[in-house]
Amino acid sequence: MRTPVYLDHAATTPVRPEVLEAMLPFFGARFGNPSSSHKWGREARTALDEARERLARCLGANPDEVCFTSGGTEGDNLAVLGMWRARRATRRAVVTTPIEHKAVLAAVHEVAREGGEQRLVEVDAAGLVRAASFDALVDDTVALCSVMWVNNEIGVVQDVAALAEVAKARGAVFHTDAVQAFGKINIDARSTPFDSLTVSGHKIGAPKGIGATYIRRGTPLEPLMYGGSQDQGRRPGTENVAMAVGLARAAELAVAEREHEWTKLETMRDALEAALLARIPDAVVHGRGGPRAPHILNISVPGTDSESLLMALDLQGVACSSGSACQTGSVTPSHVLTALGVRSDLGSAAIRLSLGSLTSEEGIARVAELFPALIDKARRLSGMAG
Amino acid sequence: MSGGVDSSVAAALLHAQGFDVVGATMKLFCYGDDVPDKPCCSLDSINDARRICESLGVPHYVLNLESSFGHDVVDNFVSEYAAGRTPIPCVRCNTFTKFRDLLRKADAIDAAYIATGHYARVVNGELHRGLDQAKDQTYFLWGIDRAVVSRMLLPVGHQTKAETRDVARALGLIVAEKVESQDICFVPDGDHTRIIRQRLGDDAPALARGPIVLADGRVVGEHAGHARFTIGQRRGLPGGFAEPMFVVAIRPESRAVVIGPREALLGRGVIARDMNWLVDRPAVGAVVQVQVRHRAPPAAAEIVRLDAHEIELALDEPVAAITPGQSLVLYDGSRVLGGGFIERSGAGRPQLPVLAAGRASLTGKPNGQA
Repeated sequence: MRTPVYLDHAATTPVRPEVLEAMLPFFGARFGNPSSSHKWGREARTALDEARERLARCLGANPDEVCFTSGGTEGDNLAVLGMWRARRATRRAVVTTPIEHKAVLAAVHEVAREGGEQRLVEVDAAGLVRAASFDALVDDTVALCSVMWVNNEIGVVQDVAALAEVAKARGAVFHTDAVQAFGKINIDARSTPFDSLTVSGHKIGAPKGIGATYIRRGTPLEPLMYGGSQDQGRRPGTENVAMAVGLARAAELAVAEREHEWTKLETMRDALEAALLARIPDAVVHGRGGPRAPHILNISVPGTDSESLLMALDLQGVACSSGSACQTGSVTPSHVLTALGVRSDLGSAAIRLSLGSLTSEEGIARVAELFPALIDKARRLSGMAG
Repeated sequence: MSGGVDSSVAAALLHAQGFDVVGATMKLFCYGDDVPDKPCCSLDSINDARRICESLGVPHYVLNLESSFGHDVVDNFVSEYAAGRTPIPCVRCNTFTKFRDLLRKADAIDAAYIATGHYARVVNGELHRGLDQAKDQTYFLWGIDRAVVSRMLLPVGHQTKAETRDVARALGLIVAEKVESQDICFVPDGDHTRIIRQRLGDDAPALARGPIVLADGRVVGEHAGHARFTIGQRRGLPGGFAEPMFVVAIRPESRAVVIGPREALLGRGVIARDMNWLVDRPAVGAVVQVQVRHRAPPAAAEIVRLDAHEIELALDEPVAAITPGQSLVLYDGSRVLGGGFIERSGAGRPQLPVLAAGRASLTGKPNGQA
């Protein structure tokens, strides 16, 4: 088999060597518990505090506004459930979009189960939140709005600044899932009025199992867990020092490389998209009409199915996905594409190719050749003219 | 690959023989929270299959065939019970899901063969019983397209179950000691009435109270739904008769379950529909062996009528509990000729004297795997 091509960076990314190097001492001699008062503890505390400060700088935040978590799912749950539970006595509604990651959607369902009211804002065919719909739904009964900055399946970029302004004006707090946005979009808590924001380490070259949630000063929040007073009681439990250090390093690298990375990925993504559309004129690129992050290409070809295509691609050494990976690894229709009004036969044909640190022009060129060939074959088998 | 020992060993054997193996597990229904963890088809089983493939160093995929399985297998299962018959879902799963829909997925990746852990053999392009007579599964395989047989690889069909486990142990497969699934995969707790209720509602006639009657129409009791019964069943019937009584017929139009003594269970002929042939269609007058239940002993029979839709056979000796909805499979020795779904008992050859029937083993399990 030729060199494998990994086009699933939206699922996860490899740990960067700089990140691994930064973490290693904390798996060795610097193993202390940050809560201990002795030398080992002080050493760990210092490393943790520094990591928090460095990550805060990457977000335009104060260090005390950064809470380390286990990743995107915990961060979204902490924000949605934590902020709603803290405000439920006076405001019980939550406004979100139908294209959120399940980490937000399922947390909002839990809100509804606990007596809250769930309101889903309308999105257009490109996945953009309709401003009028958002405006109509956010009233003085809304505790919290949650809108993901960059969608993980189609890459659509929401106008978070404008939506957060509206929410603020109505007295609602505004959360954004920025797991796919960090390192792609300029994120600055000083200029964008979001109240909370979630990032995840393993999407930006840090390990799985670490993430962070920004929580603006003064925003009421109930913790999800109870125990020690770590992280101001927002996230009790002995801190994951090594990975917090790794996350801070990865975040710094991502911010430093952000603009260059955007251009590089966008150039390759657009080249791949153009090549595929030239060879497969009836292919549909989802989210194409709106502003898109540069690392995601979600494409459906009529007369094919994602399950078979993913198998065929994988057997040729090309890794991608059909949307978000499910626990069993099986392919199920995407709630995001369904919300965009994508026809079900196209929805079940969707393939998400996501670019990142491992992507090269050679790899893109190979997929640009291989993908149409596999499409031709799939269509011959399904009896549809290519 | 179900994650069980048979399909795992099948994959391992083919891999050892140098085949380029790709593992696949079919996801056939939704794993709801209410489904208790069971040995077959659960999430754990998918994980077991994936781990087997990882240990062999071959790819593994989970293929979602829920929608077509629901339509081809589960819907039919429910409607058969509603019609007073006893369905055999494993046959339809093999016919439509495994050896048609899954085969299309195999085509998509240029796979030349489709291999399973069935106890059956392919010899010279024809389907034969598995070498382990106690495990033979050809009773469930008659419905597949004849052209597919030459693409089937059935490695464990050439050995006994004990040998399969020995191979699994020798290879250190994690599933070597796994218990065998006994139930229908989408009825993991063995209660098939639950899925009937789910699909047809609490007030489904098949689950409504009805009379238990004798052949002459006399009502001798009441039952809680005819879908709880199958031909030959004794469980759930009233006592107090001079001899053991069995279900001999189910009449969905009146919701009646008809009971009778052992003699009333005996059929001298059998009529089946939806015939599928795995060899050239035999002629009227041909003498074959037939099987009307999984694990029933083969019975000699003569084809007395045959057209495109229906077959009628006369049995040399009466056979007990010929059950509408179950399979009729025709054999020539170990060779599978074809099969169909049993419509009803036939008249047989009235000129022959009725011979004393051997004590057939009866079972209340719908697919006879108990």
